[in-house]
Amino acid sequence: MSAPLGTVSYWEPWWIQVIKGIVVFAIGLQLVPVVLLVERKLIGRFQNRYGPNRVGPYGLFQPVADIGKLLFKEQFRPRTSVALLFTLAPMISICTAVAAFAIIPFGNTQDIFGTKVGLYGIDVGIGPLYLFAFGSIAFYGLMLGGWASGSKYSFLGAMRAAAQLISYEVSQALALVGVVITAGSLSLTQIVNAQRGMWYVVPQLVGFLVFMAASFAETNRAPFDLAEADAELVGGYNTEYGGARFASFFFAEYLNVVVVSGIAATVFLGGWLLPFGIHPPGWVDPFVVLGKMALFVSLFIWIRATLPRLRYDQLMAFGWKVLLPLATLNALVTAIVVVAVH
Amino acid sequence: MAAVLFFIAGIGAVAGAIGVISARNPFYSVLALVAHLISLAALFLLLRAEFVAAAQVIVYAGAVMVLYVFVVSYVGLRDEPWHTMGAPGGAALRGGAALFGGALAVELMIALLGTGLRAVDSRGAGYVPGFGSPGQIGDLLLTKFLFAFELASFLLLIAAVGAVVLARRRGEGEPEGAPEATSVIEALRLGSMAEAVGAPASTAATRLAELNEPDQGEGRGGGW
Repeated sequence: MSAPLGTVSYWEPWWIQVIKGIVVFAIGLQLVPVVLLVERKLIGRFQNRYGPNRVGPYGLFQPVADIGKLLFKEQFRPRTSVALLFTLAPMISICTAVAAFAIIPFGNTQDIFGTKVGLYGIDVGIGPLYLFAFGSIAFYGLMLGGWASGSKYSFLGAMRAAAQLISYEVSQALALVGVVITAGSLSLTQIVNAQRGMWYVVPQLVGFLVFMAASFAETNRAPFDLAEADAELVGGYNTEYGGARFASFFFAEYLNVVVVSGIAATVFLGGWLLPFGIHPPGWVDPFVVLGKMALFVSLFIWIRATLPRLRYDQLMAFGWKVLLPLATLNALVTAIVVVAVH
Repeated sequence: MAAVLFFIAGIGAVAGAIGVISARNPFYSVLALVAHLISLAALFLLLRAEFVAAAQVIVYAGAVMVLYVFVVSYVGLRDEPWHTMGAPGGAALRGGAALFGGALAVELMIALLGTGLRAVDSRGAGYVPGFGSPGQIGDLLLTKFLFAFELASFLLLIAAVGAVVLARRRGEGEPEGAPEATSVIEALRLGSMAEAVGAPASTAATRLAELNEPDQGEGRGGGW
């Protein structure tokens, strides 16, 4: 069967696809509160305090309380805002984030109730390009949010985000080119299968480092969080948002962190594969991927607690003068080595 | 299913195109163009050209239009109405526009009736597995269309170099004498021992005055 996005070598009934859609949606949205809680707890520990510990045992229900509070808030907008675009912006953000989550492979093809099911939303033949396509649409969520708010802080935040996203998107994509050349495929499941001998973090170390640095910028995380530098911009593009709309932006942002972690785990840490030739039963695969994702999410939080924010000119210089040449060189060297070895 | 998606994407593409030319506020024009490009990408997807669809979104919606949005939102014009009721332009302009539009429509009709419509009756080109995949497109680009491909990349290189040259030429005219904040602090000895022991205030004031007029010859001082 051949869907518009990618060719599947086995037949999946329509109800499996519906279930997959629901599962991807549910898992994606359940991961975000967990990441929120882990971030607040860890940041608390890094700063020598407890972090949230009042709601529920050990403060476990803190994100639920936060989200509940946001959902029941009144929806309001500034008089200077543009109503339609102001409402549309958070929707774009969260839709693209959830759509990008669909391509993270959580395991090999499994037999469930006698039908073959791939443990991923879709295995697109264009792999990372799908991610970048939704990433570039997600940009309009930020941009429209900042522009339609009719506030200078929002606008400045959006402009910074725009400049930052287009600067680092190039490096992020080029960093993956090395992996794609080595694996000889764009499909994420085939990239994972190509890592049976060795995880790509070893031969593609430069690509991995560039990808991670660019991903920090792409997800607006510290030390590249200039788009929402609270000391100078109040809150960046989402300054004027409140209630559920703010929650959507916030959700999308953390979901993007999760997605990037998933892609990094898939592409550089061997996805569902375990080292030393350990082959667990198929149902363990998703937990392996989730564990590796947790590793990257913790790294994101650790970096946020460690590094101070860059200056704007440092950000641009780093992106264009360090990351981009490194990523290009990495792709070039990889291509030469692959051609020489074959 | 495919037919439904086709009509949604087709209507989106046409509506976006109309929006581009009818919106008066350039920001909405740009947004309509983005909607148009994304609809086109959906049409490419329906034609099983997934790589072209992704490239369309990444390159046009993600890179080119981002720059448009960037520029247009800096220009401002937030209060400009989005529609074009009572558009400016004299009768001659409108007549000319109608004439050109008509000529274009006739040209399109001739082209369509001449060749394009013949394909409607047939079943269309056959679909082979692997069609439109990145591998196949790469093959074609590096074999059959190598010359055009290299020519296009050379053109882009020239454009990039040209942009750098233009940007540098504009940068040469900048005044060089504008004092930096640190030099002012140094001159006034702000926060230093000299300030603490009471360096004569008159000295500080004259130093600041000197800094404000660094080059009397060109008369371009006071840039700070």
